[in-house]
Amino acid sequence: MPAIRNQVKELRALREITQQELADRVGVTRQTVIAIEQDKYSPSLETAFKVALELGVPLEQCFQYDPKGKR
Amino acid sequence: MTTSLSYREKTLYASLVAEIIVYGPYFFLHQQNSVNKVAGMIIAIIVLQVVLQLVIAAFTRNRVTDERDRLIELRGYRAGYLMVASLMVVGLAMLWFHATMGQLHLDNPKIGLHFLSVFFGILVISDITKTATQIVAYRRAL
Repeated sequence: MPAIRNQVKELRALREITQQELADRVGVTRQTVIAIEQDKYSPSLETAFKVALELGVPLEQCFQYDPKGKR
Repeated sequence: MTTSLSYREKTLYASLVAEIIVYGPYFFLHQQNSVNKVAGMIIAIIVLQVVLQLVIAAFTRNRVTDERDRLIELRGYRAGYLMVASLMVVGLAMLWFHATMGQLHLDNPKIGLHFLSVFFGILVISDITKTATQIVAYRRAL
């Protein structure tokens, strides 16, 4: 399991936002949103805050840190 | 869910194609016999890269680059640098080996061209390593 996991995919689906829309709002590429959702890329703190802000949830509801996870 | 190529990834594939088209014949058809050919190659790669990048830019609407692109770029440069350093060590070891065996003829008039070819080869291999590393990072989603 990765060290940083997220609920971006689920939260985005609840709000009916497409990957491209979220990417445009956050200022990243759609490929980066895909990589984040697949837990293959851990975004910077700034991007993580922006994603949480766009999804309308606190950061810790969107991203979680697992100290036993693989970095 | 599809993962179509991003703008940066398209430019990397274009760079790799340009490198193979220009450097391939140079190294595999043994064209390393004049300084003019080296200069011609450098001009050819620059022109081809500019043309390909312009075509990609013209046909790509979303040209956003982000932190992940920059991270992948840095990974590529690190791999390229490690390749330069490794090949330089190998090259120096071979030079030392030839010198100790008495096979290094510095009075040969072609020696300068030979060294130029080796250094250029190191740069080319490192550049291809950099581009390939970046493409692999994109394909693995980092």
